[in-house]
Amino acid sequence: MPELPELDPVIHGKLRLAVLSLLVSVEEADFTWLRDKTGSTDGNLGAQMLKLEEAGYVAMQKRFAGRKPQTLYRMTPLGRKALVKYVSALKELLGGAL
Amino acid sequence: MTSMNREDGTTRDELVQRVALMEEMIAEGRKSTVRFGWVFFLWGLIDLAGVVWGELQSDFRWVWPITISAGFVLQFIILALRRKSGHSCGGSVRGRSVAAVWSMMGLTVLLYVVAAIVQHKAGQISYVAAILMFVGMAHAISAMILRWMAQGIVAGVWLAGGVATFFVPRSYVFDVFIAEMCLGMILFGLYAMWLERQSAATEEQTNA
Repeated sequence: MPELPELDPVIHGKLRLAVLSLLVSVEEADFTWLRDKTGSTDGNLGAQMLKLEEAGYVAMQKRFAGRKPQTLYRMTPLGRKALVKYVSALKELLGGAL
Repeated sequence: MTSMNREDGTTRDELVQRVALMEEMIAEGRKSTVRFGWVFFLWGLIDLAGVVWGELQSDFRWVWPITISAGFVLQFIILALRRKSGHSCGGSVRGRSVAAVWSMMGLTVLLYVVAAIVQHKAGQISYVAAILMFVGMAHAISAMILRWMAQGIVAGVWLAGGVATFFVPRSYVFDVFIAEMCLGMILFGLYAMWLERQSAATEEQTNA
């Protein structure tokens, strides 16, 4: 029996997967936008973003928009690669369902 | 693993949910986050102001370069104010492409107008036609990027106006220009702003 592919645990978390899926289609996104789109809280999103950063899947940049500090995130090439791998694994696991 | 649990406890239903979540988020990210209707409306007003000024001071040939430059400054100020007000968003490649098309179109028209004025060739029909064509082309590219039929129609109106200037009597060229400003800038800008409001209201209701 062929071995089933492993799902990347960093990506598999619901909120982390939602964030990466959002970042796939935008060049960069700020924290507030990601929070609003995912419907999460500041604390939870912050913790999950840190995990994604530690895995090297997203890059963070801080800047000022006027006087307001802004935290911007973008997906790294490694993150993109990992997401593609995750989708392939999902496809394999779900077989014809996708 | 079929519909049963994987070794790590993940069920098939959970995997299907993950797929649905990804689809939903990708679609969210692709939604245009750029509000640009006001830009068309603003430029329509700026151009009409230029027309009125040109009528009042027909011997002053720098009306248009000054008007267009003032338009750029005004747009820049409004953009800066909007950013300051904290419009958080995700910048999409599509949004940046559209912005690039319009920025370069604006710069091209400015250079074109200045060069034509310096060389005293601003009164020719081909001069007006080219400007209408530039704008029509920018609308067409933008419509293709956004896959937006309404903007495609507006592009058609601008291009038709550009062609029409060669066929209508010279005295009507100015009317064609005014009609393009009202239809293709002010009216289209108002329509885009209305759509953006509708979409924002729907989003708010969904999030509530």
